[in-house]
Amino acid sequence: MDRSQPAVVVEDLHRTFGNLKAVNGVSFSIDHGRVVGFVGANGAGKTTTMRIMATLDSPGSGKVSMGGHNVVHHPAKVRRLLGWMPDSFGTYEHMTVLEYLDFYARALGFKGADRLRRIQEVMDFTDLTPLADRMSNKMSKGQTQRLCLGRALLHDPQILILDEPAAGLDPKARVELKNLIRILAQEGKTILISSHILSELGEMCDSLLFIDKGRIVHHGDAESMVRGTETAGETLVNVQIAGEPAKLIEWALTAPLIKVEEETKRGARLRIQAADDATLAGVLRRMIQDGLPVLDYHREERRLEDAFIDMLGQIDKNTFKAQQPGELPQKNAEAAKL
Amino acid sequence: MNAAPAIMDFSDRLSPMVVKELRQGLRTRLFGGVLLTLHLMLVLLTLMSGGAENAAVVSGWFDGIATLVLCIIMPLRGFSAVADELKSGTLDMLALTRLSAGRIIFGKWAAIASQSLLLMLSIMPYVVARFVFGGLDLFGEIAALFYKWLAGVVIAAVIVALSTQRQFWLRAVIVFLPMLFGGCGAASFMMMSRMGGGMSSGLVFTSFTKSGGGGSVLLVLGMAAWAIFFFLSLAATRIAPAASLLSVIKRSVNLVALLSLMLLGWLTGSSAAMGMTAAGVLSLLMMDALTERVNEVPSVYAAFYQRGWPGRLALWLLAPGWVTGLAYSALLVALVSAYVGWARSVEEAKLIAVGAAGTWMIAALVQLFSTRKSRDLLPPFIIFWLIVNVMIATLGSLLMIPWAMKTTTVWFTCALPQLLQAGYTTAQAGDKAALLNLGMLTACIWPGALLIAAVFAWRRARAARQEGWRMIHGDQGGSAV
Ligand SMILES: Nc1ncnc2c1ncn2[C@@H]1O[C@H](COP(=O)(O)OP(=O)(O)OP(=O)(O)O)[C@@H](O)[C@H]1O
Ligand SMILES: [Mg+2]
Repeated sequence: MDRSQPAVVVEDLHRTFGNLKAVNGVSFSIDHGRVVGFVGANGAGKTTTMRIMATLDSPGSGKVSMGGHNVVHHPAKVRRLLGWMPDSFGTYEHMTVLEYLDFYARALGFKGADRLRRIQEVMDFTDLTPLADRMSNKMSKGQTQRLCLGRALLHDPQILILDEPAAGLDPKARVELKNLIRILAQEGKTILISSHILSELGEMCDSLLFIDKGRIVHHGDAESMVRGTETAGETLVNVQIAGEPAKLIEWALTAPLIKVEEETKRGARLRIQAADDATLAGVLRRMIQDGLPVLDYHREERRLEDAFIDMLGQIDKNTFKAQQPGELPQKNAEAAKL
Repeated sequence: MNAAPAIMDFSDRLSPMVVKELRQGLRTRLFGGVLLTLHLMLVLLTLMSGGAENAAVVSGWFDGIATLVLCIIMPLRGFSAVADELKSGTLDMLALTRLSAGRIIFGKWAAIASQSLLLMLSIMPYVVARFVFGGLDLFGEIAALFYKWLAGVVIAAVIVALSTQRQFWLRAVIVFLPMLFGGCGAASFMMMSRMGGGMSSGLVFTSFTKSGGGGSVLLVLGMAAWAIFFFLSLAATRIAPAASLLSVIKRSVNLVALLSLMLLGWLTGSSAAMGMTAAGVLSLLMMDALTERVNEVPSVYAAFYQRGWPGRLALWLLAPGWVTGLAYSALLVALVSAYVGWARSVEEAKLIAVGAAGTWMIAALVQLFSTRKSRDLLPPFIIFWLIVNVMIATLGSLLMIPWAMKTTTVWFTCALPQLLQAGYTTAQAGDKAALLNLGMLTACIWPGALLIAAVFAWRRARAARQEGWRMIHGDQGGSAV
C-alpha cells in the first residue's frame, strides 16, 4: 500500500433511503496511522457512512477509496485491507469462541498450523484464551465485544472500522478496549471509531469528525472543537477557598471584569472577561492580596459534549437565519483533512 | 494449549462454510433427534417385515419415512439458512472474508446435503436387512433411496435459494403451497418448471427416474446437478456485491446446459421429450435473467469493454441486470422454440413462444410495480407468478366445463398468454390456427412493453457504462453504447 496517499478518502458521499438523506455530501480523508473518532447523534449517518466504506452498501453518489482502492470497483481488494466491527455483534448459536475464530480464520484463508498460531495470537491479544470453550452467544457484552474485535483483527488489517465499539460496556471493559485500541494505533493501523460518547473518543483519537444530519459539521482535534465554540475572550475559572464561600462572592461582585457564573460548595465558578494568561494570573494575585484564602484556582475546560451541543445549536440558529453568508461554521465544502 | 485438537478436526480442504454448518448442525438437537427417531422406526419396521404377507405395507412405510426425512425434513433445515444470517448481520461479516457469495451459499447447501447423505447411508443397513429377511429387489431399493436423496438435495437447493428472502411469510407460502397441492416437496420443482411451457414437463422428469438404463441415469444426474447449480447461483446473486460478474458465469452455464440438453435429444433420438424439458427449464432461466437489478457499477462494464468487440457483444447478453436479461431470454426462447418446431411441431413451438410471453408479462408487471426501494425483483416476480397461476388455474378449469360458451371463452384466452394453452386444447379443430395466430399477436404486447421499459432502464445506466469505458480506454476515442 502506498503510504504517501491517505489511507481513506471519502469525496462528496451521498446515500438516500427513500426520501431520507442519510448521508448528504460527506467528504474527509484520513492519513495512515491516524486514529479518528466519528461522532454524531443517533441517526446522524455514521453507520451508513461506515458501511459504504466497508463495501457493504453502495454509495448513491460520490467516491470512497480505502488504501487507494475504490470501494465500488474493487470491493475484494478493499476487503483484504479492512477490519470491520459492526454495531450489532453477530455471534453464532452452537459455536464456541474457539470455533468462531477458527471459522473466520478458515474463511480468511488461513491454513493448518498457521491458522492455529494466528487464532492464538488474537486470543492472547484480546484476552479470550480462558473463554475458548464458551458458547460464543452466551457471553457478556464486554466479552462478546472482545471476540468481535478479535475476529476483525484475524487477517491483520491495515484499516479498522469500529462502529460504536464502546456501547454498553462497563467502565472497566471500556478501559480495556481503550488500551487495545491504543496498542493497535501504536502498530500503525488506521482506525475510525464511531461513538456518541465524546469524552472517551477525545482521549483515544488524534482527531474527531463530527457528523450531523448526514453532513460533516466539524473536524479537528478535541481541543480545537472546545475552543472553536468558546465564547471569545471569556474564561471560566473554578475557585475554592478555605472558610465561607460568601466572602469570595462578595469579592467577585465588586471586582472589575468578573462575573459569578455559579456558587459552589466551597467557592464559585467565575467568568472572567479575559483569555490571556497574564490577566488570569493577575486575578489570582489580587485575590490573595485582598486576603482571600485560595485553596484552588483553575481554568475550567469546557466539556466536549457541551461544545458539541453548542455547535449544533449554532448551526441550527444559523440555518434558521436564512443563511447569512460567512457566518456558518461551514467546513463541509472543503474536504476535512485528518 | 489444548485448543489444537478441537479445531483441527476438519480438514483445510473442506469449505469453511461447510465446517461451520456441520459443527453447528451436529450440535443441535434436531439432527440427533431425527437420526434417533428415524432409526427407532426403521428397526420396528424391519422387525415387522418378517412375514411375506405384509411386505408391501412395510415397504410402503419404509418409502414414506425415507421420503419424509430425505425430501422434506432435511431440506427444510435450509429454510432460514441465509435469512438468519441476513437478520443477525453476520452475512456482512462473511462477505468481508475471502468467501465469495457463491461459496457461502454452496456451504449452506452442502452442509444439508452431506448430513442428508449421512442419514441415507445410515438407512442402507435396513434395506440390506430387509433383503435378507424377505426377498426384495436390493439394487432397485438402493437406487430408489439414492433418488430420494438426490431429489432431497435439489429441493434443499430451492429452499436455500428461497432463504435469501428476508420475509418469512413469502418463504412459507412458496414452500408450503406446492406441498399442499402436490403432497410432496418434489412438486415444487415441477410447479416451477410448469411456469412458461405450461406443459407437464414435470412428467418428463419423473419418467426419467422410472425408466432404467445407464443413459437416463446420467441424464437425471446431470439435470439434478444443473438444478442445484441454478438455484444456488440464483441465491448467490442475491447476496453478491454489486460489482460481481456472477451473471456471466450463470448465464453461460445455463445456456450450455440448455444446448447440451437439445444436443442430447438429437443424438439419442429423443428430441421430442428433450424439447419439452427444455421448455420447462426455459421459464426458470427467464425468471433468473429477468429479476436482476440493472447494474450501475462502471467496473462491471469495464470488464466487458476490456475484451474488445467480443466483450462488447457479450455485454448485451451477459452483463448483470434484467435489460441484458431480456436480450438473453429472447435468445433462449428463439433457440427452444426453433428446436421444438423442428422436433415436434410448429404449433407447439408457437405455444412455447406464447408461454414465454407469459413470463415476460410477469417481468413487465414487476417493472411497473417495483419501486427503487425494493432492491430485489425476485419476490415481486414470485408473487405475481403465484397470482397469475391462481388465475390461470381458475380460469383454465372454466374452459374445461362442457357447458361454458366455448367459442367466446376460448377467444378471450388470447388476453392472457398463459391461458392460451388451455384455450388452444379446448378449441375446435377448425379454429385452432386462427386462435394461435391471434394469441401470438396479442402475446407480443408483453415483450414489447418490456422492451420500452428496457430502453429507459438502459439509458439510466449509461453514465456507468461511459465511466466503465473511460476506465479502459481513457478519454480518447470511441464511446460506450
Ligand atoms: N437500511 C435502511 N433503510 C432505511 N433507512 C435507513 C437504513 N439505514 C439507515 N437508515 C436511516 O438513515 C439514517 C442514518 O442512519 P445511521 O444508522 O447511519 O445513523 P447512525 O449515525 O449510525 O445512528 P446511531 O448512533 O443510532 O447508530 C437514520 O435516519 C436511519 O433511520
Ligand atoms: Mg449506528
